[in-house]
Amino acid sequence: MNRKAAITVNRSLDEVQRLWRSSDWSPDHIDDDKATVTFAVAPGDRGTEIHVELASPGPGGKVGEVVETVVGAGPVAKAKDELRHFKQLVETGEIARSDAAPEGERVGRKLKQRPAQPLAEHELEKAGA
Amino acid sequence: MRANVWSGRNTVQVEEVPDPQILNDRDAIVKITSTAICGSDLHLYDGYVPTMKRGDILGHEFMGEVVDTGRGVENLAVGDRVVVPFPIACGNCWSCRHELYSVCENSNPNAGMAEKMFGHSTAGIFGYSHLTGGYAGGQAEYARVPYADVGPFKIEDDLSDEQVLLLSDVFPTGFFGADLCDIRGGEVIAVFGAGPVGQFAIASAVMLGAERVIAIDQYDYRLQMALKKAGATDAIDFSRDPDVVEQLKELTGGRGPDAVIDAAGMEATHGHGALHAVDRVKQATRMESDRGHALRDAILACRPGGIVSVVGVYGGLIDKFPSGAFMNKGLQLRAGQCHVHKYLRPLYERIRDGQIDPSFVITHSLELGEAPNGYETFKHKQDECVKVVLKP
Repeated sequence: MNRKAAITVNRSLDEVQRLWRSSDWSPDHIDDDKATVTFAVAPGDRGTEIHVELASPGPGGKVGEVVETVVGAGPVAKAKDELRHFKQLVETGEIARSDAAPEGERVGRKLKQRPAQPLAEHELEKAGA
Repeated sequence: MRANVWSGRNTVQVEEVPDPQILNDRDAIVKITSTAICGSDLHLYDGYVPTMKRGDILGHEFMGEVVDTGRGVENLAVGDRVVVPFPIACGNCWSCRHELYSVCENSNPNAGMAEKMFGHSTAGIFGYSHLTGGYAGGQAEYARVPYADVGPFKIEDDLSDEQVLLLSDVFPTGFFGADLCDIRGGEVIAVFGAGPVGQFAIASAVMLGAERVIAIDQYDYRLQMALKKAGATDAIDFSRDPDVVEQLKELTGGRGPDAVIDAAGMEATHGHGALHAVDRVKQATRMESDRGHALRDAILACRPGGIVSVVGVYGGLIDKFPSGAFMNKGLQLRAGQCHVHKYLRPLYERIRDGQIDPSFVITHSLELGEAPNGYETFKHKQDECVKVVLKP
């Protein structure tokens, strides 16, 4: 099973490494215990590549992970969400939110999209907006 | 507020929905004064685009007045009159920095979904399925506009809504189609589809210096508009003779057009009888998502070494791609959702300077509540419909 994810952030290596390690950024799924995170300068002045390799699950975790992966919510998909959030925060200063996915990209939202119409008052707070 | 929502295949209805709110610092809220139905909205209406959900507010062509701004929006003030480009673009990523706004890397919060379909995610688009983000559209009284410091274009003179509204999509999209053809003067350009995008592709090819522009459609009233208003020099009506490739060769002394613009897309209606029937069945049974006649014929008709420019919308896959013709004739295939932000100012200036008045395509103006009628009229080409504008 593929356990790798990567993204390119349009910022220098130094800046990306500093922001990744800052206390403002605390990914839930990609953390130091379960993942190897490496950084590389992207060719052609395109910023910095972040490569994540998740550790293999223990024998007990395997079945659950296969099920999650089949429904598109496996650990790699979650790691990709976090990489996208990081890129968005660094490049644009905010998480992209739509009416269908008001918390921003999240695998759990893929199958449970809101309709693309504005949130009612009681939903706004829940979405962290 | 009231909004036009998708409620299943061939059904839209105007409903009461919550008003939009600022969700991010770079958002603005726009009170919509004019919005239009796009040919690509018909692909959603017809049910050929996956990832639609009941209740989705449609519409990606709109303009209006800024009524609220987030803390991060300094270039706009309440009361500003703006046209909003249909792709949602952050302005910060590598693609945006290279004026490739419709493939913005950050604006689609359903990027994972889009990657499954297209290999990569593309930009968010207002009111245009969940694959492009699930953003509420502009066929409504108000819309939330993300990255409002990048997208909305201020209109500071007395041009009417009808003159500038189509800067949101179809005018730039048609211009983009012509721009992809590398027109330097003296070319022959053929345009499949004489809907609004086709009309603007024709007008733009003329403005860029093409010597002859051939309009192709099956509706005479649209071909007449192309000839009389957009500046086409020739017209092919394929309801009379479906062999468009042969007619194009004949019109060009056997050479074929230097470039061909596909402004028809996934629901093309002409083509050779048997192949069309196969495509129709496969699309209806969802075995093939796109009907590819226009693209196939564009490739077969284009002169060797020429350019095929695709701005008509495709959503998935087509069968029988003429790879042999494409490769052996050495064609260049260029395509895209328009990078609208790049074209807003230059095209606005062409309007202001009187080189073009885009309102020539508008045939119908309806109150927002009439949206369901507007969709039916547009879909079935009733009442010589080319473009429907809705007034909230």
